[in-house]
Amino acid sequence: MAIDQTSARAGRTLLVLGILAFVGLVISFALPKPAERLYPERIPVRFWHMWTAEWKAVVDDIADRFNKSQDKYEVIALSIPPSGGETKFVLAVAGGDPPDVMAQWNPVIPSWVDSGLLQPLDEMMPPAQWRQLHSDMYPIARKIGMYKDHLYGVTVGLDLWACYYRPDDLRAAGVPDDRLPPTLEELFALGARLDRFDDHKNLTHLGFLPEGYLHTTPLFGNGFYDWESGKLTIYTPDNLRALQTLADAYQRLGFDNVSRFQAGIDQSSFSAGWPFISGHYSICVDGQWRVEQLAQYAPNLQYKTAPLPAPTGGRPLASFAGGNFMIIPKGARCPAGAWEFVKFWSGIENPERAAELYTKGGWLPLMPAITNAPAYQAYLKKYPQFKTFVDMLPSENIQTTPPVPYTIYLTDRVSVCGDLAMRGLQTCEEALRGLEKEIAQEQARRKEFGYAD
Amino acid sequence: MGSALQTNAGLDTLKGVGSLLKRLPTPLCHLDGYRARYDDADMKRHLVGYAFISPWLIGFAVFTAVPFVISIYLSFTRYNVVTEPVWVGAVNYRTLLAHDPLFWKAMGITLKYAAIAVPLGIFTGVALALLLNLEIRGIAIYRTIFYLPSIVPVVATSVVFLWILNPQIGLVNGILRSVDIIGPNWLGSEDWAFTSLVLMGLWGVGGSMIIYLAGLKDIPYTLYEAAMIDGANAWHRMRHITLPMLTPVIFFNLVMGVISAFQYFTQAYVIMDATSGPNDSTLFYALHLFNRAWRYLDMGYASAMAWILFVLVMTVTLTIFRSHRRWVHYGN
Repeated sequence: MAIDQTSARAGRTLLVLGILAFVGLVISFALPKPAERLYPERIPVRFWHMWTAEWKAVVDDIADRFNKSQDKYEVIALSIPPSGGETKFVLAVAGGDPPDVMAQWNPVIPSWVDSGLLQPLDEMMPPAQWRQLHSDMYPIARKIGMYKDHLYGVTVGLDLWACYYRPDDLRAAGVPDDRLPPTLEELFALGARLDRFDDHKNLTHLGFLPEGYLHTTPLFGNGFYDWESGKLTIYTPDNLRALQTLADAYQRLGFDNVSRFQAGIDQSSFSAGWPFISGHYSICVDGQWRVEQLAQYAPNLQYKTAPLPAPTGGRPLASFAGGNFMIIPKGARCPAGAWEFVKFWSGIENPERAAELYTKGGWLPLMPAITNAPAYQAYLKKYPQFKTFVDMLPSENIQTTPPVPYTIYLTDRVSVCGDLAMRGLQTCEEALRGLEKEIAQEQARRKEFGYAD
Repeated sequence: MGSALQTNAGLDTLKGVGSLLKRLPTPLCHLDGYRARYDDADMKRHLVGYAFISPWLIGFAVFTAVPFVISIYLSFTRYNVVTEPVWVGAVNYRTLLAHDPLFWKAMGITLKYAAIAVPLGIFTGVALALLLNLEIRGIAIYRTIFYLPSIVPVVATSVVFLWILNPQIGLVNGILRSVDIIGPNWLGSEDWAFTSLVLMGLWGVGGSMIIYLAGLKDIPYTLYEAAMIDGANAWHRMRHITLPMLTPVIFFNLVMGVISAFQYFTQAYVIMDATSGPNDSTLFYALHLFNRAWRYLDMGYASAMAWILFVLVMTVTLTIFRSHRRWVHYGN
């Protein structure tokens, strides 16, 4: 009797397991499979990038165009999660199975070069071509892609920050000609006139507030790096003034007030939720990619773009820039194919063809030859607000993160320094001196470990 | 009838878990007798058992034990994951202890978290278990409701809390606003960011609550009967029966809670968007370690940090174990 019961129970268990296995099989067949290779006879070029959603479609299209443009290589694009992208790449190189090429946008080049992760790209082209490219590239593309006199990243889309503003709001504030004031001080004054508060003095509409500390320093001077001497510059009168300007702006509104206001709006939204579209900002500082998003999500919105005005005695056409750049890791199985793809997308050899690719993602070009190509000029005609960004590109006053091997540590601490001053927890002098001390400690630590810098 | 039987079966299971927990530290006492009974036939039988669990054993050796040992060596090296480690002696430890202010800041924040969050979690867990031990209608539903949050993935919970604690559009401040109270800037201010994470930790208290409940179910009712005959009121019964009899379970949760508090990472990482929070106020030790290892590619330094943490956790855990004779009662 007991045996019968046990057998019956075992049978039921097996039946349940069988049903579960069947359901699992059905689900596994229903799930999307990795795409089969379209050109199995060609040499594969594995390409990792971190774009998702609408951007992924653009990148897939570019890979597809490359594959159709020649018959030797097949670029296989793989979108990896941005949050773990760097870790995945580092482990892939360490494990001996890296991609052939990767698109990055974080300031990783100095650290990765010093760790022996990247191949110098200038050595992949004839010296004459490298000399030409070096001279043709926009200054900021050189700053982003070069480290220790070698090219490690070719930008396929620069990201630059400038002002977006609503002419209606300016007119309402008594600005007759829809133009931003000529100095940063006047812009702050205008912004203050455009701020709005509720009955409890809570901020409900922001006139103007610049981006973070790192983004603001180029308006006042070199920022945190002197490109002439190749040295970090932390506690300088220019950086102190930049920090004081930011701190004053936040203190005027109240840091907590601004923080609460910004927590209630989706500042990083890549859609119609962007506060400039929803009317929470009159003037804001953001990247060129917003132009296309505005066309998509708010086609009837009247807006203009302009470079941030320099402070009195500051630098004109100054801003902060980042970039989407292509890197080829050491240990890549097909560096030649990877380099062909980099050239195709960046436009090093065929700027006119590449110009169209840049317009697909709303990216800023690597060099003037691409800007001057008919496809890009047509794009600028379609989106006149985009021209502001393109016109700024030749400026030497556009800065990026300092090219030191501890860039990420540095930018983390710069952010904390700005935070301390803007919250009023420390004076600007104390915060900047604190930053200088932290960086000196990090440099001393690295020296003790035997690092060159 | 059927449901009553099911309820009894459920209670028996809880009691069984409680008995198991109460006996946790005792098996070591029986090791000698165990060895005496061990013979060759057992050996062969056990080898078969080991063969069956060998996939786990191999996995443990390859992915846990060996890296664990190698990390001792790495902590004395300069190592960036990609190139060969370079021996630097005790530089990592010396720098950490003498020249890294963030190390001490992160250590202080983590100790503060352990000192506040663990006792708070124990108090809340016990209080909830006492409430959910009441024999009232629908108690199984209440138990389920309070337990459910603990099985929701931490990342999902963190994302939900980003909204709940939003100072402008969040649920908590919305409720406070309805009674004319301006709620704090929970995650955006230095004063409240840490507190928010501590309070958020209570969301998962259902996990320990169910263990306390199992412990409560295991307390013999005869003790309460005897106490009531002697005239003990509710407070006396709680003070002299319930809490002492629950101490083995509290001991277990204390050890587990302290260990997980020292490793606190995911919630802070997700909520603060991988930053150290306002004025580094949520720079937990594990977050600092993660940054050093994977963002700054300083794996040797991070290994040294991991070993300091290991020694600290071991010291605290052993101290708790040493103290348990004074305050943990096994009912015998």
